[in-house]
Amino acid sequence: MPRAAEISVNEREFILQGLKENIRLDGRPFDAFRSLELNFGDEHGVADVQLGKTRVIARVSAEVTAPFVDRKFDGIFNISTEFSPMASPAFEIGRPTEAENILSRILEKAIRRSGALDTESLCIIAGLKCFSLRADLHILDHDGGLIDASCIAVIAALQHFRRPDVAVEGENATIFSIREREPIPLSILHHPICVTFSYYNAGEIMLMDANLAEEQVREGEAVITMNRHGEVCQIAKYGGVSVDPMALLNCTSVALEKVKDITKFIQRRLEEDAKKRDVGGLIAELSAENAR
Amino acid sequence: MAPQALLSPLHQADGSATYSANGYSVIGAVNGPVEVSRRDELPEEAAIEVIVRPAAGVGSPRERHLESLLRTTLQHIILTRAHPRTLIQLTLQITSLPDEESAGDGSALSYSSLPLLPPLLTTALLALLSASIPLSTTLAAALVAISATGKIKCAPTAAEMVRAGPGVSSLHVFAFSAGRALVLAESEGDFEFGAWEEACAVAEEACCERVAGMEVDGEAGNGQAFLRGVVEGKVGREMRWRMAV
Repeated sequence: MPRAAEISVNEREFILQGLKENIRLDGRPFDAFRSLELNFGDEHGVADVQLGKTRVIARVSAEVTAPFVDRKFDGIFNISTEFSPMASPAFEIGRPTEAENILSRILEKAIRRSGALDTESLCIIAGLKCFSLRADLHILDHDGGLIDASCIAVIAALQHFRRPDVAVEGENATIFSIREREPIPLSILHHPICVTFSYYNAGEIMLMDANLAEEQVREGEAVITMNRHGEVCQIAKYGGVSVDPMALLNCTSVALEKVKDITKFIQRRLEEDAKKRDVGGLIAELSAENAR
Repeated sequence: MAPQALLSPLHQADGSATYSANGYSVIGAVNGPVEVSRRDELPEEAAIEVIVRPAAGVGSPRERHLESLLRTTLQHIILTRAHPRTLIQLTLQITSLPDEESAGDGSALSYSSLPLLPPLLTTALLALLSASIPLSTTLAAALVAISATGKIKCAPTAAEMVRAGPGVSSLHVFAFSAGRALVLAESEGDFEFGAWEEACAVAEEACCERVAGMEVDGEAGNGQAFLRGVVEGKVGREMRWRMAV
């Protein structure tokens, strides 16, 4: 396995010196995200997120399986994060790095365990059939901020995804293909977004959305996941440096502003995409709903 | 839809390319020559590693099969002896498939891995070009379907294959080098040798540039001509500083 190029001593000193003088390498303020771009694929459930030079594609797919025996009324939802050497030659297939483990653990906590997706709505026939949803994350380009970008990608892809419609008659379920019936959006209860803070100079300097070079010289990081209502889903703190609890509390209010912005951005992009798909207002015309 | 290609869309990899044609989109990245692990090290040439990642789910034997086909083909094209004891690592990520492929309706599409091979090969070659890995030649690949009635169709679309259903009796993938040498021939299904030869000739026509003097303007479907166009664009952009007066 080839090793990733480590940052040199000079570069490290340069970045740290700059931070002490309140200057970031790319000229951003300390509490600014890089430019965020979000595009959707031709199919439903594909979200392509670009955060600066970091690029992540999330793809949500569904199939029908039997539910777990102990959870008869729940569908199945999995997030798969496997790094490939595309992002960095140091990533190897089948041998997860620490970054990969942390990413999958945080997404698990932030999206799955916070109950963002209503898994009960994925149930078709209790104990017999349910939808198994799977979100595949493809990291194409790695320039730091993988956790933030991946979380945005998964949340956007889930909101964009449409599952096939089903009709249940007794013990028989009919799954309609996309051509037969308009597919149905997932029921999502809230939209958690991750914001990563990086700590430098014994916890005195705090950066938002560090890029790869800044990530390599940081002393600690804290990942805060919130939704736009200000509910904290999880806080994870990694690295050796100690952080003042009051400062961490302060971080949540800073994070909330960012989370609101990002949620609004995702919503806007989703609406733009819906408008693009709905050529000539066909969906409104096909709807059988009466005006009340 | 005409095939589309974009060179070097990624920042981290040494070279990268996206290619989409007929509903298939693939993004490829090349890292190399890089340090090689002791296990894979070859004393006199570069080791080549090809990784194919499916759009959804984890890799299966189908991807492993495609990887081995790609590796053996690319081995003959990359000048591996120029970089002994190194590794050239090629990652191909499939980003989208035609809608028909996932339908699973028993047509030739849903069980065969051959329709994926031409887009993967083209992406691999474009990524290698973008990474400036020395190559002995370029190559172009084409998919050919022979129907039960003996009709030969070059580069059938996914919709056509689904419509034909069991009417497709065999599928073939041919790859030709710039010098019109056959470098890859993979076939599936029932066919006669005569039909195979005919299919091979059709694929050669689709892959290789016409002999000088027979040039037809605005020919789009031609494999080598397409590659030439993409590379011309790349060189044009890189040499812009020289052209400016």
